[in-house]
Amino acid sequence: MEWITLFNKEMLEHWRNFKWIWVPLVLILLAIMDPITTYYLPVILENVGGLPEGAMFEIPELLPVEALMMSLAQLSSLGVLVIVLMSMGTIAGERKSGVAELILVKPIRYLNYITAKWSALLLIVWVSLTLALSTSWYYINLLFGELSFTDLLLTIFFYGLWFSFVITLVIFFSVISRSPGLVAAFTIITTIAMSIITSLFGKHLTWSPSNMSGHIEYAIVSQELTKDLMMTGLITLILIGILIVGAQQIFIRKEQIN
Amino acid sequence: MTLLAVNNLTKYYGKTLAVNNISFEFESGRCVALIGPNGAGKTTTLQMLAGLLKPTEGTIQFQQDNKKDDIRSLIGYLPQFPAFYPWMTGREFLIYSGKLSKIPASEVEKRADKLLERVGISEAKNRRISTYSGGMKQRLGIAQAIIHRPKLLMLDEPVSALDPLGRREVLTLMEELKNDLTILFSTHILSDADEVSDELLLLHQGEIVEAGPMDELRTKYQTTTIELSFENNLEAYVAKLEQLSSVVKTSVDKNIVHVTVDSIEEARQEILTNALEEKWPLTDFSVNRASLEDMFMKAVNG
Repeated sequence: MEWITLFNKEMLEHWRNFKWIWVPLVLILLAIMDPITTYYLPVILENVGGLPEGAMFEIPELLPVEALMMSLAQLSSLGVLVIVLMSMGTIAGERKSGVAELILVKPIRYLNYITAKWSALLLIVWVSLTLALSTSWYYINLLFGELSFTDLLLTIFFYGLWFSFVITLVIFFSVISRSPGLVAAFTIITTIAMSIITSLFGKHLTWSPSNMSGHIEYAIVSQELTKDLMMTGLITLILIGILIVGAQQIFIRKEQIN
Repeated sequence: MTLLAVNNLTKYYGKTLAVNNISFEFESGRCVALIGPNGAGKTTTLQMLAGLLKPTEGTIQFQQDNKKDDIRSLIGYLPQFPAFYPWMTGREFLIYSGKLSKIPASEVEKRADKLLERVGISEAKNRRISTYSGGMKQRLGIAQAIIHRPKLLMLDEPVSALDPLGRREVLTLMEELKNDLTILFSTHILSDADEVSDELLLLHQGEIVEAGPMDELRTKYQTTTIELSFENNLEAYVAKLEQLSSVVKTSVDKNIVHVTVDSIEEARQEILTNALEEKWPLTDFSVNRASLEDMFMKAVNG
């Protein structure tokens, strides 16, 4: 009951802030941009012109799975930025503006306060991601060849875990810092640091959440649910759980005002 | 019955001492003013009572029927600078607050509408809070603090930021609320405390320097001075006053003679009898009541 009240308020807020409109739109755009421009590159070059006489262009044929990876690459860079910016003010902003002072004196459980906000953000992210990848999948089938529906579902599910991890990082840092800007910075720095560390110690960190896209690609190419993908998914889920519990513990111990 | 008992409450921010070992208690049904200059520790004290800050040391005990109850459900709290969700309407915010305070869904809307009426913002209830004036926000803030019928209402500087009109409205509202609730409010404006409270807590540099019921404190700090002014010939009458047996000393400040006396009753009798017999050209005669300001200055300066 209390959780539903908190969750409904978040949904209403995201609706009135137009997040339900712009987040899906931006993610769809990011997902289809690269596959489509790559496909039409020869036409674009022809129309723009300016190439020296006799220049030869060899544009490699793109496999459907490679086109899908282009979508994921865009989502992993700009997409992460978008969902971080979209969510950075959720708790930090309320603490900064002072409205948290009114809410936290109500007899509510802090865990509900955190998870209601977290869930509302996850819902936007999952719906937007599903729309974005489905659109991309539609164009890939149209332009590059067949990619099965199961491949789409697998991509949405495992990539969704990675986005969920990012949102959870935002929630975690929101409990630590009251400045939305700092929250965004901490989150972005953490994801960058994770991918650097993962590529440096690749052998030992096969199941790092940063490797999610790579494992998804292998799974689609090999047409089986690889152990690496499953384990990466599991590790990501565990990290999400740890971060949420950690956020709640910090929230209880730390004074949320001043 | 004691509603709230605070024992040895202390709060450090890092190394800065904000509240220093304060203890007080009050009974239900009282209106208690926490007064003190800016930086005295009023807000910190209220935030600790509201559960927003953790005391460095000391205990806070509420009288509660069930020990398991969340203390937060027994109190209503309005911060000094209340902030709301600007995208919500006043009514939506009030209903949201009510639901979070565990008011049954069937009742919360009815109660919210009634309360909006009572605090006088029902015409604006379906407007977004971003369009509200300071006074309207303050009234919405009071409404959200009392929607769950708390035992103790805590208001942090409820009128300090308002214009004279808004201040009058909020003070009147507090006067009405006094009948149903126990109120603890902070202010640095002494006349506001004078107007609505029955009990005072004087806070200075994190310490309670004086506390007690308003009338008791008045008697305690009663100054024994009588002020006189005359149409003319001030000096002559000062000389005469000094010869009276009940007068301890006199001092002249501008055109007013301040007469310090042992006993107000005796001195009043003697001075007025003399004035009548000798036809003194008195323009003013007043017995100085202890003002809160005098009380405050005395308590602070020892």
